[in-house]
Amino acid sequence: MKILLTICLLCVPVFAQQIGNPTTQQGVIPPRGVFAIRNARIVTVSGADIENGTVVIRDGKIESVGTNVNVPAGAQTIDGRGLSVYPGMIDAGTNMGLVEVPQGANGTVDTSEVGEFNPNAKAITAVNPHSAHIGVTRVEGITNTLTAPTGGLISGQAALINLLGTAPKEMAVVPQFALVINYPRIGGGGGGFGGFQQPINLTETLANNERQVEQIRKMLRDAEAYGRAQDAYAKDKTLPRPDHNVVLEPLVPYVRGEQPVIFRADREAEIRGALKFAEEMKLKPIILGGNDAWKVASLLKEKNVPVILTGVFSLPSREDDYYDALYENPAKLQQAGVRFCISTGDAGAEVRNLAQYAGMAAAFGLSKADALKAVTLYPAQILNVGDRLGSIEPGKMANLVVTDGDLLEIRTRIRYLLIDGRLVVLSSRHTELNDAFKNRK
Amino acid sequence: MPKVHPRLIVAVCTVAFVALCAFHQTRAQRSAAIDTYAITNARIVTVSGPIIDRGTVVIRNGLIAAAGPNVSAPPDARVIDGSGLTVYPGLIDSYTNLALPEPAAAPSPGGGGGGGAFLLLQQQQRPAPGGPNSTQPAGLQPEVMVEDAIRPSGTEIESSRNIGITTALTAPRSGIWMGQSALINLSGETPQQMIVRSPVAMHVSFTPLRGSGYPGSLLGVFSTLRQMMLDAQRYRDSMQIYERNPRGIRRPDVDRSLAALVPVIEGRMPVVMIANTEREISRALDLAEEFKLKLIIAGGREADRVAGDLKKQNVPVLLSLNLPRRTTAAMPEADPEPMRVLRERVEAQQTAGKLAKAGVRFAFQSGSLANVSDLMLNASRVIENGLSSADAVRAFTIWPAEILGVANQLGSIEPGKIANLTITRGDLFDRNSRVAHVFIDGRPIDLRPPTDRPAGGRNVTGAWALNVKLGPDEKTGSLTLQQEGERVTGSIAGSLGAGEISNASMTGDEVRFTIPLQLEGQTKEATFTGTLSGNEIRGNVTVVGAAPGTFTATRSRPN
Amino acid sequence: MKKLLLLFVIALAGSVVQAQPASPVETLIRNATVLTVTRGTLPNTDVLIRNGKIAAIGKNLNASANARVIDATGKFVMPGIIDCHSHSMLDTINEGTLAVTSMVRTQDVINPTDVDLYRELAGGVTTLNLLHGSANPIGGLNTVVKIKYGRPASEFLFPGAMPGIKFALGENVKRSSTPNLPGVQRRYPNTRMGVEETIRDAFTRARDYKRTWDEYRAASAKDKNLIPPRRDLQLEPLVEILEGRRYVHAHCYIASEILMLINLADEFGFKVKTFQHVLEGYKVAKEIAAHGAGASIFADSWGYKIEAYDAIPYNAAIMTRAGVVVSMNSDSDERARRLNIEAAKAMHWGDLTEEQALKLITLNPAIQLGIQERVGSIEVGKDADLAIWNGHPFSVYSRVDTTFIDGTVFFDRQQDLAHRAALAKERATLEQADPNKPPAQGQSPRTPRQRPRTHEDDVIDEEEMP
Repeated sequence: MKILLTICLLCVPVFAQQIGNPTTQQGVIPPRGVFAIRNARIVTVSGADIENGTVVIRDGKIESVGTNVNVPAGAQTIDGRGLSVYPGMIDAGTNMGLVEVPQGANGTVDTSEVGEFNPNAKAITAVNPHSAHIGVTRVEGITNTLTAPTGGLISGQAALINLLGTAPKEMAVVPQFALVINYPRIGGGGGGFGGFQQPINLTETLANNERQVEQIRKMLRDAEAYGRAQDAYAKDKTLPRPDHNVVLEPLVPYVRGEQPVIFRADREAEIRGALKFAEEMKLKPIILGGNDAWKVASLLKEKNVPVILTGVFSLPSREDDYYDALYENPAKLQQAGVRFCISTGDAGAEVRNLAQYAGMAAAFGLSKADALKAVTLYPAQILNVGDRLGSIEPGKMANLVVTDGDLLEIRTRIRYLLIDGRLVVLSSRHTELNDAFKNRK
Repeated sequence: MPKVHPRLIVAVCTVAFVALCAFHQTRAQRSAAIDTYAITNARIVTVSGPIIDRGTVVIRNGLIAAAGPNVSAPPDARVIDGSGLTVYPGLIDSYTNLALPEPAAAPSPGGGGGGGAFLLLQQQQRPAPGGPNSTQPAGLQPEVMVEDAIRPSGTEIESSRNIGITTALTAPRSGIWMGQSALINLSGETPQQMIVRSPVAMHVSFTPLRGSGYPGSLLGVFSTLRQMMLDAQRYRDSMQIYERNPRGIRRPDVDRSLAALVPVIEGRMPVVMIANTEREISRALDLAEEFKLKLIIAGGREADRVAGDLKKQNVPVLLSLNLPRRTTAAMPEADPEPMRVLRERVEAQQTAGKLAKAGVRFAFQSGSLANVSDLMLNASRVIENGLSSADAVRAFTIWPAEILGVANQLGSIEPGKIANLTITRGDLFDRNSRVAHVFIDGRPIDLRPPTDRPAGGRNVTGAWALNVKLGPDEKTGSLTLQQEGERVTGSIAGSLGAGEISNASMTGDEVRFTIPLQLEGQTKEATFTGTLSGNEIRGNVTVVGAAPGTFTATRSRPN
Repeated sequence: MKKLLLLFVIALAGSVVQAQPASPVETLIRNATVLTVTRGTLPNTDVLIRNGKIAAIGKNLNASANARVIDATGKFVMPGIIDCHSHSMLDTINEGTLAVTSMVRTQDVINPTDVDLYRELAGGVTTLNLLHGSANPIGGLNTVVKIKYGRPASEFLFPGAMPGIKFALGENVKRSSTPNLPGVQRRYPNTRMGVEETIRDAFTRARDYKRTWDEYRAASAKDKNLIPPRRDLQLEPLVEILEGRRYVHAHCYIASEILMLINLADEFGFKVKTFQHVLEGYKVAKEIAAHGAGASIFADSWGYKIEAYDAIPYNAAIMTRAGVVVSMNSDSDERARRLNIEAAKAMHWGDLTEEQALKLITLNPAIQLGIQERVGSIEVGKDADLAIWNGHPFSVYSRVDTTFIDGTVFFDRQQDLAHRAALAKERATLEQADPNKPPAQGQSPRTPRQRPRTHEDDVIDEEEMP
């Protein structure tokens, strides 16, 4: 209570309606401190649940977890009786911070650069730390998002961020995590006209797609050659000095398979195409979207390619698809041994509903434990930060959520939120508007 | 006798009067061409009575003079030995656009479905002329009469005759209130000679107007139909009141469109509504019930599903024989076709048989079949799927004659009826049979193999791969164009966005059109101006608020 | 009967449905937790359905010998969900050419074979308010339907539902998203001022129209030679509104436009039955309550356009506490499948009680559509429109086992699963049929044209982000 009060003093209620309205957190990052959450049920995710346990947090990290943990002197303690501690949820497929208002305010949209090839467009550059979406999302227990650019063929580079900070740099967990490629679409849901499915000529589409893939191939090959030339010159300065190229330069770690490439692909043919292309180019692929992933499960398993599923709440793609085709998609991937995680795939506003996406998967065949993992540990592993996020283990980043119930249940409330070892005020643009109007007489 | 303004009488009666005159004229001219024929030793399918295994049909003065086993050829007759031949009443195609000016384009290749002129309607058509001073925009002019547009020539007429069609209902191509149809014999030097009956029916399609005018959606189509029928009721009542006693009453405005609807709302003139799916047919039935219309359904692919209602409301169907078929080879990348589509193709073949069993009256129409010679093939498919071949003959002869109100003139081989005969070697529906002779109005028709139409002038019709350069952006799309005269219609799909093209034209070599373009997440109008050369168009693109760009288009599939 | 069944099977557009068994006269659902909505939550309770109605609720009920008995131990029964803002099964949604399209009727364009209907049944939804889109200040007439998927369109119509009409205010009707192109005539109105004027003008004309007819009727009794006034299908529904015979469902977002319509309605003497979306309703909750209007909202959609930027998920709670009858709607074939989750959000945000939250998708929308005597709660005598859930419907882990409308099963998960093999077999057979044999070569396939499936109010209402 005392802590809450202290932090509330830092709040400056702002009800202004300009775009990118700052939250109470503007300019104020709560300090890292030493915290102890005591007597709580600790859902570690990586191991067994711990009843009546304690979590100690210091310097932004989880210091210790267990039932016989010493609470350091001077630690700020949170009474966890009746509460549960979870790792913060991670949504691995958003545009968080890149879009404030999609319609009618183009100036607030920073998702899609002009042109088809923008490997040098870095999401971390454009993330708006003061976006109202960030505050609204984190108070529901989502501590991290992968924020990805969209559009074109090579959209740019996605960033893994903490949903806390006043500057992108402070938020970044992995500033340039992956290259995002829009694998050419076969049809349905691809670009243009608000989702209308127009009659398409598949032959032409396929020919056109092949041309586009060829363009991507050429650029990646150029980047490979460029990287070799730069390396050679670095070793042997007698060689002619290759010019720097800002477009090819950022591609080098991706074409060398050092960092993952995210392919947006939903339909079976697109997923197969992306897998084939990645193999040919020796890339490290991740599928984003994956509505038809269940149809390609054995191949995904064979190639050990993970999938970020964004379509749990989408209508089935085809009229003959079973009503639960996409609700069941995660369970089917789980059974097939495919690595996956669950994402909202949303630009920002709806990311706060991530828990329900996972819950719905659990209503249709996924175990509750796996549903929880699908929004915590699994995305952390797919995003190569399994050693830093996604579970409650000593040494991991202290991104924690303290709840009064099952994290995925709709009625559950978040009581405390820690991001990067900082205790975050549970207010947002929405709580502020609520406070302002709820008692209007 | 109340005083009536003479102009009013003229206005109200013009339509009927003109039709009457034309009819008399036709009769008069026909009687000039007298000739006598006898087809002997033939099998005669009279339709009205039992089949005559071996008999003679005598034709005189354009009419059937006699038919029977014991009829002998008159001495002045030209005798045709009918051994091995079967004589049928001339076949009637109960819904066509024959003898009307060319449509803009062929029906879409993947279509099938066969909704009378429906597919053609989907391409934007030049509306038939409603004459000057119509109160309504094109597409809402019930006063349009096909009779005014008939031209007695064209390869389609020949193609139809070649497969044994002697008579056709020909209806306006487009509109919501499309206008009024005529029944024509497929022979004659002048339109007047061809017309058997005009007007036959009012035609309606549930196709919104193009452009920005109301009604722009299916929702508005129904409201417009209702409102105009209500207006027609008031028009009739107002005129009656005014004619009874004009003094002291402000004179109602004359309105040809509403006047044309009066026989419709009084149930004197049938209304043909194009409706294929169950729900379209139900909508037509509901509207007919609401306004007590004398409804005829055209298309009717799923008519069997509402057979009970059709029977109850005594509504006949001009059933399309443009049966849907899979036109595409499967591709591994493509989604499997929906079961709905697969079922639809199978069930469309069964509709006729089910209608016959349910006692719903129907007649066959060719349904804008791309190749009219498929008509008999499709009829045989329908027979394989449950229709008796006797009923199939009726659906080509006496049933359309009854439905279209000409059973006294056509549809069976009986003395006094118009001498339209279709004579085949082999059974009509046998896939190996062929048409040996066709008589129309008592005269033999030259059956010629259809000649290919000469390719006329420069034409942009076809599928085009479009490549657009706008600043650093390069976008591609597929463009489909159809040209009729200088008028061009079509659509665009691909990364450019998707939608209909507008403001399109083709003048000399110059092509112009406008499309909605997806640029930076916004939809903008882009105007294309280019020069056609062979299978390529090159030119410039202008977009409001953006630097101009260039484009090329390459034709992958001509016409 | 056999013929009926055959017709039914043929009528199925979606392949995911199975033929319904002939519904027995009686169905007994045994030992469920029954969420009655109006009479609390009843544990270990039976519900007896007879002739399509709820015949009894209680413990150890007896049913006739041939009744179908369902053991619902551990399961939950709740009333069928009512979606007060849907565009499912409409072949087209907007007549956008005019600013006032009160002459168009959604009932003219309903498509009973829309497969999304089945998917909604699988989410426990039984009744929809089919609304015209939001392209015009005064839009078209609504249609209230029960989702009798597989039956002819005429059987969908909800008998006795109050006729309604769609109004719309704000960005969509003023068309601020449409670029101002040279040479293109812009449709009036272009501002919220013009929206008010458009509606005022329409009602002024409607008032005159009514007077004209009243005068004619009075005079024509004496004088048979009078020419009657024109019947105007655009104005007749507005007269019905003025006479309290038609409900107004007004799409709106921001506080000012909500107040505008309240004032205008007060001036003309009619009530707005529901404000739809009404994202800023919480700012003017007391005015909405004072007018007597209901509100039909999204649980938590926000920020998808400027006028949605101030939306908050506490909207339901604030308005409910102010005395407004609130419902939670979908405006989306997708969202309609999980309105239970949407309702539960009002407990998460804003602390509504379970009963209050349940009402958001049952009794309250029933009231808003004038069908509360028939549906919206589990009470003896009401229509047997209900769903059996395998857990509490407010748990994210729950799903629907069976959905009933008028006592007949329209969705059953076990039947659905069992039917899947038969569908695969049917497909194989169909593929072999002559008309489905592909030619050796030919045109490439075309995917069928489909209307957009989510956020269908209109394209600009909400757009899915990639």
